[in-house]
Formats: sequence, C-alpha cells, structure tokens
Amino acid sequence: MNFSDLNDEMHKHLQEKIADLMERGLSESEARAQALPEFGNRTLYLEDSRNVWRWGWIDRLNQDFRHALRGMRRSPGFTAIVIATLALGIGANTAIFSLVNQLLLHPAGIDLPERVVAVRTRYTKLKLLDIGVSAPTFADLRNSRQVFDHAAITRAVDLNYTDSDTPQRLIGAAVTSEWFDVFGARPLLGRVFRAEEDEPNANHVAILSYAAWERLFSGDRSVIGRTIRLSQSSYQVIGVMKPSFRFPQNADLWTPLGWPTDQFAEMFRFNERFFAVARLKPGVSPRQASAWMDVLTSRVRQSNLPWVTEAKWGLFDIAFTDSFAGATKTPLLVLAAAVGFVLLIACSNIAGLMLARASARSREFAVRSALGAGRGRLLRILLTESAALAAAGGTAGLALAYGATRLLLQLAPESASAGLSPALDAYVLLFCGATVIFSGLLFGIVPAWRISRSDPNEALTGGRSSTAERKRQRLRSALVIAETAFALVLLVAAGLFLRSFVQLEAANPGFNPGGVMTASFTLPTAAYPDGQKQAEFYRTLLERLRSTPGVASAALGYPIPFSGIDESGAFDIEGYVPPPGDPGPHGDDRFVTPGYFEALSIPLLRGRSFTDQDRVTTQPVAVIDDVLAQRYWPGKDPIGQHIKLGPVTCTIVGEVGHVLHSDLAADSGRGAYYFTLFQRAGRMASVVVKTKGEPAAIAPAVREAVRATDPHQAIYSIRPMEEMVAASLAPRQFGMRLLGFFGATALFLAALGLYGVISYSVAHRTREIGIRVALGASSSSVIREVVGQGLKLAGIGAGLGICGAALSGRVLAHQLPGVAAFDPLTLSAMAAALLTAAFVASYLPALRAARVDPVTALRNE
Amino acid sequence: MEPAARDLFPGALEMMLLQALRREPMHGYALVQHIRQSSGDLLEIEEGSLYPALQRMLKAKWVTAEWGLSARNRRVRIYRITPLGRKQLERKVSAFERMLEGIARAMKARTS
Repeated sequence: MNFSDLNDEMHKHLQEKIADLMERGLSESEARAQALPEFGNRTLYLEDSRNVWRWGWIDRLNQDFRHALRGMRRSPGFTAIVIATLALGIGANTAIFSLVNQLLLHPAGIDLPERVVAVRTRYTKLKLLDIGVSAPTFADLRNSRQVFDHAAITRAVDLNYTDSDTPQRLIGAAVTSEWFDVFGARPLLGRVFRAEEDEPNANHVAILSYAAWERLFSGDRSVIGRTIRLSQSSYQVIGVMKPSFRFPQNADLWTPLGWPTDQFAEMFRFNERFFAVARLKPGVSPRQASAWMDVLTSRVRQSNLPWVTEAKWGLFDIAFTDSFAGATKTPLLVLAAAVGFVLLIACSNIAGLMLARASARSREFAVRSALGAGRGRLLRILLTESAALAAAGGTAGLALAYGATRLLLQLAPESASAGLSPALDAYVLLFCGATVIFSGLLFGIVPAWRISRSDPNEALTGGRSSTAERKRQRLRSALVIAETAFALVLLVAAGLFLRSFVQLEAANPGFNPGGVMTASFTLPTAAYPDGQKQAEFYRTLLERLRSTPGVASAALGYPIPFSGIDESGAFDIEGYVPPPGDPGPHGDDRFVTPGYFEALSIPLLRGRSFTDQDRVTTQPVAVIDDVLAQRYWPGKDPIGQHIKLGPVTCTIVGEVGHVLHSDLAADSGRGAYYFTLFQRAGRMASVVVKTKGEPAAIAPAVREAVRATDPHQAIYSIRPMEEMVAASLAPRQFGMRLLGFFGATALFLAALGLYGVISYSVAHRTREIGIRVALGASSSSVIREVVGQGLKLAGIGAGLGICGAALSGRVLAHQLPGVAAFDPLTLSAMAAALLTAAFVASYLPALRAARVDPVTALRNE
Repeated sequence: MEPAARDLFPGALEMMLLQALRREPMHGYALVQHIRQSSGDLLEIEEGSLYPALQRMLKAKWVTAEWGLSARNRRVRIYRITPLGRKQLERKVSAFERMLEGIARAMKARTS
C-alpha cells in the first residue's frame, strides 16, 4: 500500500465533507468554500505524504536539479554567459595546473618525486651559486647511506651513431649504476646497470630511451643483446627504458660512467663536472637531508686549504623537480596565481549575475516561501542551481583545458614544453573537480544566503525600493569593486612583465648575433685522440667554410654564448698575492680560434686578438675580457701580464669586451678569459659563421663542409645565433604573452560585471530617472550621473587594486630584472586602461538612461 | 483560525488516530469527524494533515488500509489498526500520561 491513490482519496474526502455540509443546508458553493480551507494545503500535504515514502534528500536533490535545469533552459542567455565565463576560469586554471603538475608535482617517470633531490655546489664568493658536484663529493653522497637510499651522478656525452646511413649525434648520459634506482625507474625491456659496471673498463653497455629505440630500431624487441657502434666503439644494448623516463632531459641513451678510481681522490674535490641526484631514505625528512649537506660541507672545509672556506664553498640540495623545472618554475607559478585571479573575477561576475537574476525572480521565491517552502529548501534550490551551473561550466572548462594545454604546448618554446603532454591525468581531473566545487560555492553561496533571507511579504506586495533590493545592489557593487581590484593587480603584473621584457630585448649582450649561423660537433676520442688531430680537423673545416660563398668570416669557439654550456676555473696571476679572505682569481673559460671576435663583433679593447701564428710551438697566449681586467688589473694595462693555469703560463695579448653568456636578464658577474683552440684543443666546439645574407641559408653549406672534412662526423644544434639569444628569452616572452592574455580577460570580465551592475541599476531606477527628466534634468546630466556611478565603483576598485599591485609588485620585482617593485608608469597606465574600460561599460547604460521617456516611465508603475 | 494540529506535540495526532482506530476501522473523513466530536470540538485539526500522518503509520505498519464503501456508499479507503499499532498505542499512552503528570506537577509548583 502506498500513496499512489492518495490524491483520489483526498478528493473523496472533500466530496464526503461537501456532501455532509450540504446535508446541513449549505448550498454547494458555500459548502465548498468552507470545506477547502478546513482541509488545508492539499498540495503540501500530498508532498509531505509522498516524502514519507521517498528516499528523502536524494529525491529532493533530483527534484531541485531538474528544477535547476528547467531554469537554465528558461534563460539561455544567462546560462550561456555563466557557463562561458566559468569555462574560461576553470579551463585556464586546469590547463595551468596540468603543467604545474607535470613539472613540479608529479613529473612522469619518477616514483615519489618528492623524495628525490639534486645535490649542488656553490662558491658564494666566486659568484658560482649553483653548479654540479665532483667525483669525491659523489663518493661522500654514496656513502651517506643513513640519509640516502641511492645516489648517482651523470655527465653528458655526445656519441656519433654510425650504423645508420648518415652519422647521427646521439645525446648520451654517462651515469653511475644507481641512476635508475634514484628515480625508481624500471626498464621496459632488459635490465638496468649493475654495480660492477661502474668499473672503468666494464662500461661498454647501453640502455636506450624509448624514443631512440623507436627511432633507430623501429621498436624491435630483439635489440637487447645486439652490439651497436657509437663513436667508433662497440656497445652492447642491455635495456630499453619506459617511455615516461627521460632524465636527464632528451637523453637518447645511457651508458655507465666508468669513472677512473684514482679520479675520486681528494685532489679532485673541486673539479665539479657532474649532475648529482639522490633518493632520501624513508623516514629522512628533506630538512634532515639539508642538514646533512651542511655536515658534509664542514668536513670538506676542515680538511682542505683555507681558500675553500674563503670562497664559501658549500654543498646544498634542492628538490629534483625544482631543478628540472628550472627557469620555467617562476613564470609558471606567476601564471598559476594569475589564472586564480581570473577565476575569482569570473566567480564574482557570476555571483553578480545571479543576484541580478534573483532580483528578477524575487516574486517567484516569495510565492514559494508563502506556499510553505522553508528557508532551507530555498537555499537548497538556489545552491542546486549553482551546482548545476558549476558542473556545466566545469565540463566545458575541462574540454577547454584539454584544448588549451595542447595549444600551450604547441606555442610554448621548446625549452619549456619538452616532455610535457596535454593528457589530463587523475590529478588534473581531481583538481578540476575541486575547482568546480570551490567556484560553485563561491558564486552560489552569497546570493543564496541573501535571497533566502529576504522577506516574502515585501517581495509580494512589490515595493520596488525594498531594503532587500538595496542590500542586493550594495552586494553587487562590492563584487564589482573586488573584480576591478583583482583585474588591476593582474594588469599591473602583466605590465611589469612587459616592461621587463622590453628592457631585456633592448639589452646589449656584448656581441652582435645578427647574421651569425652556428653548429656544434663533438669529435670522437678514437679518431681524434690528441690536440694535433683535433687542430687538423679545425683547420681543414675552417678553410672550407671560409671559401664558401656568402661567408664573411668563420671561426670556432667553445662554449659559445647562449649554447647552455658554461665552464669556469681558477688561475693564478704572476706576482699577485690574493688579499686575506679572497679565494683568488677565478674566471669563465673560453676556447676560440682566430676570427672568433670578428665573427661575433666582440670589440677588441686593447692589444691584439688571436692569429694563425699562435700555435702549440709558440708562447701560450690568452685574451681577457674587461670585467676580468678591471677586477685584477684595475687602472692598469693587463697586456703583457702572465697568468698561470697549472704548469702553463700564458701571456695576456689582448682585452675584449664582456659578453653576456647565458642570460640577458642576469650577468654572472664573472669575467672570462679566452685561449686559442690551436694551443689548447678539445673534442667539442661550435662553428660560428658570419654570413653576408640570411644565416639560415648557409646551413646546408656548413653541413657539407663538415661532411667533406670527415664523413663520419655528425653535427648538431644548427641554429642562427639570433634564434639562440631569442630562445633564452622565449619562456619569459611566452609567460608575458599569457599573462597579457589573462590580464585582458580579467579586464573584460570586470567591465562586463560593471556593465551589468550599472544596467541593472538604470533599469531599476527608470521611474526615478523619469521623474528627474520630467522635472527638467538634461540628458547630459543623467549620463554624467550614471557614468559617475560606474567610475566611482571602478575608482574604489582601482584604489584597492593599486594597493594589491604594490604588494604583488614586491614579489614580482625579484623575478623581473630592470623593474622596480612600485612602478608608477605601469601602475598609472594600467589604472587608466581600467578606468577607460569602466567608462565604456557605464556609458552604454547611461545612454539608455538618457533616453528614458518620462511619460512611459511613470505610467509603468 | 490557527490550524490546531500544528500546535499538537509530535506524535499526538498519530496517538489519537490509533485510539480512534482501536475502536473500529474507519476512513479518513470519518476519522476527522470522530476526533473532532470526541474532543468536544476543542481540537481543530487541519483535515489534510491527517494524510501524511496516516502514510507514516502505514509505513511503520501500525495500520493497514483497503478500499471499501462509506456510509454514503462512496468508494473510500478504510484504515485498520494492526497488533503492532496496538502495542505502539499502549506505549504512547503511558508515555503521554507520564508527560502530562510531569507538566501538571510543574505547573502546580509554579503557582503554589
């Protein structure tokens, strides 16, 4: 038995009662008039009866939800705007989170990434703040078993793969045996390295990356055990890694480092050439690991020469994810904050829209409440509406996020996007869900609370200037003020990025990258075992390049600016005793051929540059830059002075201008000294070709020149120098563009919010404006008043925004070279942009107000 | 006129309905009439409020219902008390009496 016949039963009840009353002499209509009120609210009782049988809240939720959907269908314009705004906010947040997650929180291929640290060295006094570690330091890490479960080091090796048709350069990583254990990475096929493969001559085995396996062997599983030729040596393939593991970045294959045992001696302590990683032992906190770094540091300082302490040598650790994300981290976090602001603005905007809509629906709610809907019920209806909207917006946002992440990764500079995927994983879905709930509550709760508290009597009797209405309008104004304030903070941040970027672009790197083409090569030890062979290769290659049509000058250098490679070292100056507390001369090493300064237009300030007469058989020579000259020969002529590198004494023959080597934003502050490759040859070098025309056009000729010199030699990184310099700014530029986009979005949303409030206020005041016009107010004075109202709100918002921008500027200024924390120009420009938008947003409704016809306005009431 | 049923304490309506049904099975309208008359018209319950209460009692299996004919030969639903309903009524009545006594004492203590 259930309530299904209840309606019928109630009907029968009333019929019985009416018949009863008529028997007592009442007419049918009199009987009906008495019976109905005595019975009470039939619908309500029917619903109460139904609720006895139903699954209470789920059912009501379902009902409310369907009601919400009906409401959304009834006002498609409102729904579309809300969903679009929300999709933008949620989509942007989800997309940026997806990148934050992949870079900083859960990079693919690492088991428990928060347990992996990178160990680094610094010499604070030498302005070397973040460099690799030495072999003896690695031995210390490996012996720290109470702190680290695993520790490993790596060093890049370039390998020429010659089994294919044209020689290819493979990016190799020479690693110690625990490298994969540190990351908790398992191979897809085969095995990882064994401890005995750390021995110097047991290292002719290789593990392929998934990408290289696909590319070189088309994913052939029988590759395990096969022998391949790399740089004219044989390596046996013992494993293929899973596709997710790609550390160090872009590695094609891993080989054992096989570092000679005698190189672990204490005398090599300061020969920092490895990248070190370690996995914390379970139960060891990152703080304990950092404390252990200090312990190791003080041990080394105690047992070494005093200059170690004076140079402030020290070990430290950072999260591997931070080291991996590198320069991308800060712009990414700034962007994450920016999209957070966009979501806040979007939510304020929707809250404002919901309030306006609620005003229009106040009668509906009053009727509901008069019919017996409790306050809780009204709240539930409203919150379900918000939830339905949030869910719809979230779904659209998720789709948008997927598209946006793809687009972001396509547009992003390669250095920032390498290895990232647009796929939305469980973390991203979870984040998106949380954002939906958060924003649904944010924009739903205030209007719901406000409406459920309003007095139904007032709404039904229809007082137009009801207090509830005034409160609602006040709340909407507050929301608009908040929106404009947030928008200004975002605009100012974008403006600061822009200013900083413009300054960087204009920065003089100390050389002219225009018209310069570069390419790099690494000579294999087997074919080029000594300096003589290497120098022969250089000479032949340069002769070929110089006779190529279109080449103005050609030279070699290592490392060249903006190649991502830098090296530095200590030297002695003849007759110079460093003052106490000074660690002694130190500078960046550069190896170049004659013609290098000319090709890059690095100005020669004193003396001469290198010539073809500087050979192994003649006096070793060096050229220093002006930073080094001023540091060690202030006010004096350094030409003819001698510097000592170990047993070799070089005569300084020239002084050139300082060059920004890796970052237009920050000079290392270190000086550089140059040697000629014909006296100090090496296996690695880059070609630097100054062209008469378009540099890219010379690329095939450079390739051909290398091939003609040695058909087995691979070349790589064939790039115009201008591109290399621009690439160093690319993450910044990309971040700036995105921030600009989000700033514009915020401005647009804030203007939309303001437009909504002013339009609503004008519509609401039609009668009042009509009276004013009837009493002789001119249309211009009406416009002035309405626009004034809008500008007042925007002005308050801008005032608050300036305070917010000043605060955020202090954070940003650390990250933005050449920009002050409080930049009046940016602030006033952005405030002006905001007020202009506010003017437009309130001028449109003001025009409508000015056109109010007093007669219709008054008749309407 | 204030609907009197809203001022009843929770469960009072159910108690009165069970009491009425203990005497004889009845349909809804007759139940209302009975309560009104037996209370000497002191209790004015809004007639509709009967039905949610009856549904609750049906769900708790204190009463059963089936279609039958009224005095005027209309098809009506007739409610009948179950043994479970009788037990519930006894419990309710004794609890009600204790409560009434408690209230009465408290009122006396106040006035004396």
